[in-house]
Amino acid sequence: MLHLLELLGSSALATTLASTDAALASAPAAGGGVIAAPMWASLIVALPLLGAVLSTLMAVMGVRTKLPALMTVGLLAASFVTTLALFLQLQGGPAAGLKLYDWISLSWGSGAGQTFTASFGFDFDHLTLLWMLFVTGLSAIIALYASEYMSHDVGPGYCRFFFAFNLFVFSMACLVMGDNLLLLFLGWEGVGLCSYLLIGYFYRKPAAVAAAKKAFIVNRIGDLGLLLGILSTFAVFGTIEYTKIFAIIESGVLPNGQKLAEHWANWVIPALLTCGAFGKSAQLFFYVWLPDAMEGPTPVSALIHAATMVTAGVFLIARMYPLFVSDPHLIVLSVVAWAGAITAIWAATIEMAIFDIKRVMGYSTISQLGFMFAGLGILSPVGASFHTFTHAFFKATLFLGVGAVMHGFGGQLDLRRLSGVAWMRGFGLVGIAMLIGSINLSGVPFTAGYFSKDIILADAFALPHGQIWGSTAVAWILLITAGMTAYYTFRTYFRVYAGPKEFVPGDDAELLELGRHPKGVSIEEWHKQHGHGHGHGHSHGHGHGHDHGHGHDHGHGADKTATQRVDFDPTTEEFDPHPPGAAMKIAIAVAMVLAIAAASLYFIGPKGGWVAGMIAQSSAALPESVATHAGGDHAHGTFFGFDPHKVMYYVSAIVGFIGILIAAVLHGPRGWQGLFVGSRTQAEKSRADAFVTLFGPITTAARNKWYVDEIYDWTIRTPLLVLGHILHFADKLGVDGLVNLAGQIPRGLGRAFQTGQRGVLNGYALSMAAGIAVLAMIALLAST
Amino acid sequence: MIEKIFTLWPEITLFVFTCVVMILGLSRSLSVRRLCAPLSAAALAIAGVLALTTTPDAKGALPHLPLFVKVLTCAVGLVLLLQLAGTADRGYETRVARGEAFDPLRSTRAEFYAFFLFSLTGLMLCGNASDLIWLFLALELTSLPTYVMVAISADRNSAKEAAVKYFFLGALGAATFLYGFALIYGGTGTTDLQGIHAALSQQMATGGINSIAMAGLVLSVIGIAFKIAAVPMHFYTPDVYQGSSSGVASMLAFVPKTAGFVALILVLATVGWVSTSPATHGQLPEPLHSLLWIMAALTMTVGNVLAVMQNSIKRMLGYSSVAHSGYMLVALLAGPGPEGASLTRNGLSAVLFYLIVYAVANLGCFAVLGCLEKTSSDGKSEEIDHIDDIRGLISTRPLLAWVMAVCSLSLLGLPPLLGFMGKLPIFSTGLAAGEIVLVVILGLNSAIAAYYYIRIAKNAILEQSPVRPAGEEIRDAAVPARQFAGIIAGLGTVVLAIIPISSLAIDGGTFRHSRSGVTNSPAQTLPAPVGSAEPATADAPTGPVADATVPPTIAR
Amino acid sequence: MINASALFGSLLANVEVSSYLPILLLLTIAIGFAVTNLLASQLLGPKRKGNVKQSTYESGMNPVGTARKRFNVRFYLIAMVFLVFDIEIIFLYPWAVTFPSLDHEVSNSGIWLGRIVFFILTTVVAYVYGYRKGVFKFD
Repeated sequence: MLHLLELLGSSALATTLASTDAALASAPAAGGGVIAAPMWASLIVALPLLGAVLSTLMAVMGVRTKLPALMTVGLLAASFVTTLALFLQLQGGPAAGLKLYDWISLSWGSGAGQTFTASFGFDFDHLTLLWMLFVTGLSAIIALYASEYMSHDVGPGYCRFFFAFNLFVFSMACLVMGDNLLLLFLGWEGVGLCSYLLIGYFYRKPAAVAAAKKAFIVNRIGDLGLLLGILSTFAVFGTIEYTKIFAIIESGVLPNGQKLAEHWANWVIPALLTCGAFGKSAQLFFYVWLPDAMEGPTPVSALIHAATMVTAGVFLIARMYPLFVSDPHLIVLSVVAWAGAITAIWAATIEMAIFDIKRVMGYSTISQLGFMFAGLGILSPVGASFHTFTHAFFKATLFLGVGAVMHGFGGQLDLRRLSGVAWMRGFGLVGIAMLIGSINLSGVPFTAGYFSKDIILADAFALPHGQIWGSTAVAWILLITAGMTAYYTFRTYFRVYAGPKEFVPGDDAELLELGRHPKGVSIEEWHKQHGHGHGHGHSHGHGHGHDHGHGHDHGHGADKTATQRVDFDPTTEEFDPHPPGAAMKIAIAVAMVLAIAAASLYFIGPKGGWVAGMIAQSSAALPESVATHAGGDHAHGTFFGFDPHKVMYYVSAIVGFIGILIAAVLHGPRGWQGLFVGSRTQAEKSRADAFVTLFGPITTAARNKWYVDEIYDWTIRTPLLVLGHILHFADKLGVDGLVNLAGQIPRGLGRAFQTGQRGVLNGYALSMAAGIAVLAMIALLAST
Repeated sequence: MIEKIFTLWPEITLFVFTCVVMILGLSRSLSVRRLCAPLSAAALAIAGVLALTTTPDAKGALPHLPLFVKVLTCAVGLVLLLQLAGTADRGYETRVARGEAFDPLRSTRAEFYAFFLFSLTGLMLCGNASDLIWLFLALELTSLPTYVMVAISADRNSAKEAAVKYFFLGALGAATFLYGFALIYGGTGTTDLQGIHAALSQQMATGGINSIAMAGLVLSVIGIAFKIAAVPMHFYTPDVYQGSSSGVASMLAFVPKTAGFVALILVLATVGWVSTSPATHGQLPEPLHSLLWIMAALTMTVGNVLAVMQNSIKRMLGYSSVAHSGYMLVALLAGPGPEGASLTRNGLSAVLFYLIVYAVANLGCFAVLGCLEKTSSDGKSEEIDHIDDIRGLISTRPLLAWVMAVCSLSLLGLPPLLGFMGKLPIFSTGLAAGEIVLVVILGLNSAIAAYYYIRIAKNAILEQSPVRPAGEEIRDAAVPARQFAGIIAGLGTVVLAIIPISSLAIDGGTFRHSRSGVTNSPAQTLPAPVGSAEPATADAPTGPVADATVPPTIAR
Repeated sequence: MINASALFGSLLANVEVSSYLPILLLLTIAIGFAVTNLLASQLLGPKRKGNVKQSTYESGMNPVGTARKRFNVRFYLIAMVFLVFDIEIIFLYPWAVTFPSLDHEVSNSGIWLGRIVFFILTTVVAYVYGYRKGVFKFD
């Protein structure tokens, strides 16, 4: 049907299509871009969509193998290769556009702003390509990882997982590559949906469901802003296509003749868009959903809640950067800078206190996103984009490592109950990967994270006073946060990966099955006895007499009353950590290598690195009018009289090392030739614990996330609930009564009409004849 | 005249296959008999391809109408075919399988498929019609087979009763519009649509339309209202839908309705939507305008209000079919809008697009009914029909339940489903044409309609299965093709809403020239056929008869 | 008072009477054929009387009794097959009459032939359908 209609469109109506709509006719065939992108570029979007469709089919067909995962890895890898090929083709050139079809075309008049068009088309500029490279690349790697990580759930759940996974990549691609704001919005909601689906993947677990709902609802609030922003964009600019918007911004004169610089649109629209970006990227008071989102499977946390989706907010602002900098006072960017800085340090304080290593990573993501937003705010889109890029890789590496630990230790995530993991059999690679990720996150010199963070810090210090309100304070906050980041990162590292080999297994029933065995029997023998063939992965069942569906409690610390899970009894059983298998190891290794390699990007390309070159060729580049005041060699701001761009290498390195040193002192293992004074003999006991008690209630408050959730409960949820009850009551009394009354009208009419419908042929014929007569009479009377 | 034949390849294909199917279906060998359905599918597929490749633009006001009608017929016909699978002869074939000797006289399979194809052929011919006689024959070729199909669609007396009612009332309807056609001929002296247009234009320019011609137009519109099930010709709808099997009912909701709307467009285009001033949109001449206004308002209201009362889903859908015709009449009334108007301002495009929208969603609802059978305690099994039969469907057959829900909500016009995409242009064209009151009635009716559509959806996906009496059971009908049809339709309501078929298929261009030729300018007193009023290259026919000249009509 | 003969005469004056001659001839032959046959059977046929022989001929049906009687559906089938050939004749005859007078110089004379062949083919399909349906079987 579809194909036929397409043919119909192309064969007969092609000529009319082009000429019917004035707005359409004026649009170049290449969509928004200057040149036309090759048609195969649409594969980037099409392949994940195909994956989603195939996953659904597999679910319907009842596939109970790893086929969905293999297919997903293949398709996403192909999508990445397509992106790479496209990048190589378009590299250095102008932006290319590809318009697949007109998605929505409405007109309610022929005047300006009375035609609304949104095409399903893509804009490939260098910002887009930058984002797509890491989105598709990482998604392929993490799909590989997930193929093993999720294998205990092979069956419908597995298909469901990879369906959402593929749909996520599709939506993200639409978000990033779309050539108009509506397509961005589609992708935006799409990734939100997939995030919701995947956080709530273990839907029998109340915590996961609650977290999914929370993420969805909090995001909706931001999305309202985004939607209003898009609507106002259309209202002001008369279009939602980037190229047209940017052309208007460049001309400085709005379609209604007013100057953009003097129009409210130059700060209201950015403010609304920023609201959306804050929601998606968990900034300021919107951050609450992201830590809870860690209830989702770890690959999801790695891909969606660390590397890609949460950077959509950064992307949105970078995408619409021309509009943000069109405000001569840069009000919104100041807000963005401050929001980023506050979020960064806020999240860092919480990280320093909590014990759940996955949540540490979650808060760390919030904090690093704060860095990116601050980077955008202090007129360093290069820094923000570069940090997004490097962060994607090293944070993915960290998450994958954490996932391996969680997978291997029965879901254990408490850093007080794990120690010396790096030395355990099969976990060497994980230890190395975590170290690589940690030094990146901490900003150890010559790592990718170091360079990208440096650009933001240096640009922040270099910004002249007054351009962004309080930019120096922002810079100082970020610098302090960098130190805190180094501390909490290595706190986790020293606690979990270094130190004596000790652990307590977690309480995740399915994951426990991977390593438990009776005392006195080695795990190999145990599995041999039970026909498990240990060592061949665990894609086949490993349950002993309990069902494999979602009947169990699947996580840590939730719903212990769920069905017949077998509790781990340390008196009769032992637990061997279950090392990651080949797929997970490969994925970790690739992510790790990429995290290291990302550092080299700083040295290739023009000054400021490869990313700077990419950004310079995109719409996110700073316009000359703004750039002359900011960044570059003509910086006005200094760092104690030095050029921040030179001195910041040393400053941030020193700050980072101080952080690591404190972590080593408080949490580091004894030994290393007495280099560190810290000592730790048991995972549970640490000098750090004694140390933090010095801070008293502050630590407790931080550990409880500063009671933000509780505050929300009291300030927002409870009043709304009360209001809801009141309204419900009023509704029942007044409105329902009216509606019921109104509902009686059609029924009464129906009863009246029904008398004519008795099912008797003669009656029908008579009624018809009478109807004909009456209507004909009316019509003919009307003619006189 | 012979050139016209070369524009009929799809119809000829269907006809040839019809003959083959009719003969093969009587074979003694079961495997040969079974070829009927695949052959019909092949016929539709080939006809569809031929329609795409060989259909030239029509002369006159509506250049792309034949193409649209033919392709739509083939596409929807294929899905309908899936849904009709297993309707004919199911009981008889089981008896034959048990050892009864095959008697061609008792078999209805051949007729069923042949008539199905005949009816579709008629529908295609409607799109091609350039002459009132042709239009009449095409309309009757569309309808006559359906009378028989209703009768043989189910092995129960209600089907026979429905067929008889349908036949007699259909004859009354046909008589009405045939009388109308005759009067049009009397008032204009020609049966050729372009000729009628020219004659009426001249009459309008010189003191108003001949009252005989006007009476003819009025009667034609009222008569054709039978095909689209509009008030006052709607009485048969619920009885016939309920009496026939779900596949045939969904066919009745698509094939005659489409033919009727195409015929209405063709007939009304002869008089045209006249622009009263350059600023305003065109409007039909007053008698037709008030006629359609009243019909639209009544049809929507009667259909929706009566549907609210029903507990039988088929009856509900029957009344909903009435109501949807009312919606489409609003857009028809609004007319093609200004030159080059896009879907949102071109009422005729809106009607045609809505036909797709309605067909898809309606197919889905009926397909779900066709998929399930209720076995009562006495061992009889019948297609489900009562609203309680789908209650709690979600727990036993989630896919069907979702199809039902999505399709009924699409019929309601809930965004972002296809129904919304279809209803939006109807509203906007109505508003653009200044029919504020009618649009308000349309809005109120949509609200009423929400009651029963949501009731269907709620019963399907939100309710628990009721405790059924002992021995009563809802089972799958052993026809997987119907589930397939349902899934296609269900997907269609979602996917087609995203894929912009609205802009691809029937945007502006289709009816670009609808209003040309009929203006108030006194200069245009000569009866010029619409087609010749524009450059010949504008239409750029793609078929083999690109440069064919149409000889003078009614020459012989 | 109207002069009837004058009116009739004026009507006749405008009409070539000879052009109605064939119709008159046809009428004569038709009536003559019927009358001749009836007379011939009356004169030549053997005259045996009986209850059945003397009852009214109603295509094999008993003419006495209730009118709402069921009779064999094959009568309808036969009637319908008859229609097929009837229609064929109705179309064939005028075609055959006009065919010689068509302008054969125009290239579409073949098409005129083709049309009627196509039409005959469709009636053949109807015939084959009837045959396969078992209309011609009497058992």
